[in-house]
Amino acid sequence: MSELRGCLKQISLVMIAVLAMATTFSSVANATMVSTGDMIQQEQTQLDRQQLLNMLEKQDVQDKLSELGVSKDTVAERIQNLTPAELAEFEQQLAQAPAGEGVVGIIVLFFLVFIVTDMLCATDLFPFVRCIR
Amino acid sequence: MTGCHLGRGLGAVLALGLLAGCASAPPWPETGAAPQAEDIEPATVMVGDVPFFPQEKYQCGPAALATVLNHRGLDTDPESLKDKVFIPGRQGSLQVEMVATARAHGLLVYPLEPELGAVLEEVAAGNPVLILQNLQLDWWPQWHFAVVTGYDRGEETLILNTGTLEHYSMPHDVFMATWARADHWAVVTLPPTQTPATAQRLPYLRAAHDLEASNHPEAALTAYRTAEERWPDDPTPIMAQGNLAFSQHRVEKATDHFRRAVQRFPGFAAGWNNLGYALEAQGCNVFAYQAKACAGNLAPERFDDQSRPTASSNADHCPALPSCPLVQ
Repeated sequence: MSELRGCLKQISLVMIAVLAMATTFSSVANATMVSTGDMIQQEQTQLDRQQLLNMLEKQDVQDKLSELGVSKDTVAERIQNLTPAELAEFEQQLAQAPAGEGVVGIIVLFFLVFIVTDMLCATDLFPFVRCIR
Repeated sequence: MTGCHLGRGLGAVLALGLLAGCASAPPWPETGAAPQAEDIEPATVMVGDVPFFPQEKYQCGPAALATVLNHRGLDTDPESLKDKVFIPGRQGSLQVEMVATARAHGLLVYPLEPELGAVLEEVAAGNPVLILQNLQLDWWPQWHFAVVTGYDRGEETLILNTGTLEHYSMPHDVFMATWARADHWAVVTLPPTQTPATAQRLPYLRAAHDLEASNHPEAALTAYRTAEERWPDDPTPIMAQGNLAFSQHRVEKATDHFRRAVQRFPGFAAGWNNLGYALEAQGCNVFAYQAKACAGNLAPERFDDQSRPTASSNADHCPALPSCPLVQ
């Protein structure tokens, strides 16, 4: 059990670094001109977010969620709070999955991130996950 | 066992990717190769005026690139492209160099969606498609560039200029297998006055911005104008023209573009913000202050700049400020 805990801790440390980096890059100072690259990136982020939210509307996704005992609203809220870097990663997974397939795989990946953020006490989605202090 | 390797967790994530990659080849697309109904859709398509350069061993990159460049009326040949894209040590070319060289010739490089339908639609619209294939195996790759110049819907074959073969008919499943092993890499190269048949707004803008970022401002400007015409409801192409002019120190030109942006899209806060900076650079401090204040009012969370100094005077001949939708 302690081994598992150590392993999770390692993963979390990596996740912390990734999240911290993503946050730094996403909160660029605003007292300046808005560059073309920024505008394109922001729109892309919105698009990615919307695509994930649309995925939640699929019946098989909702079935899987209720099977896992997670409400759709909770997941939707979590999606709204994803950083651009996280979104881009899921977008990549989506792009690799053929249409109609792999959705459950993406959900599993999604929950990996949820569980990790739960462990960091950033979220409290899964009651069975205890956070690491 | 002492401790745990991060590799195990990452392995699980990688396994997901591998599973996704194991799907069998999708069938020949029923629709999507042309906007018309299937019965009037052409069964066979060949792009005209595609030159052919027989490719010597390892030089598929320069030859394929010469094919698409000459199709656009540029006068070049594999020999003169060889120095730019062929790496002797690797006996091949890299995608990034192919793309950079196409841009250096003033063309916009648009990456296609990783679907056969997109390739067919571009070919049907007269755009030869530059593709990458892996002719061998994932763990022992043989990379190969080729140009799709046509297709036969009845036979379910793609027609390629590839290697030493012109108009080679490749069965659909062979094409899909070799193309998938190269991550479905496919691009069209076209003058910045045109948009591809499958063009979507954001990827097109990114392709145009890539032209600017790779130091081809003239081609980028043309592409932004093309985008403004094609997607008139989007402020980004106008903003991009303003930002480009500003970066070239053509401040008055930049102001014109940003003014046009906020006149057409009065609620677009970033437009007011950039207009403010352009006016400031012109010495129009009062108007600059008002424009930035407008941005701050429209989107306080993004543009609320408390440190903004109160301006006292405008330079001569400052252009009139459009009215801010919130601050009258």
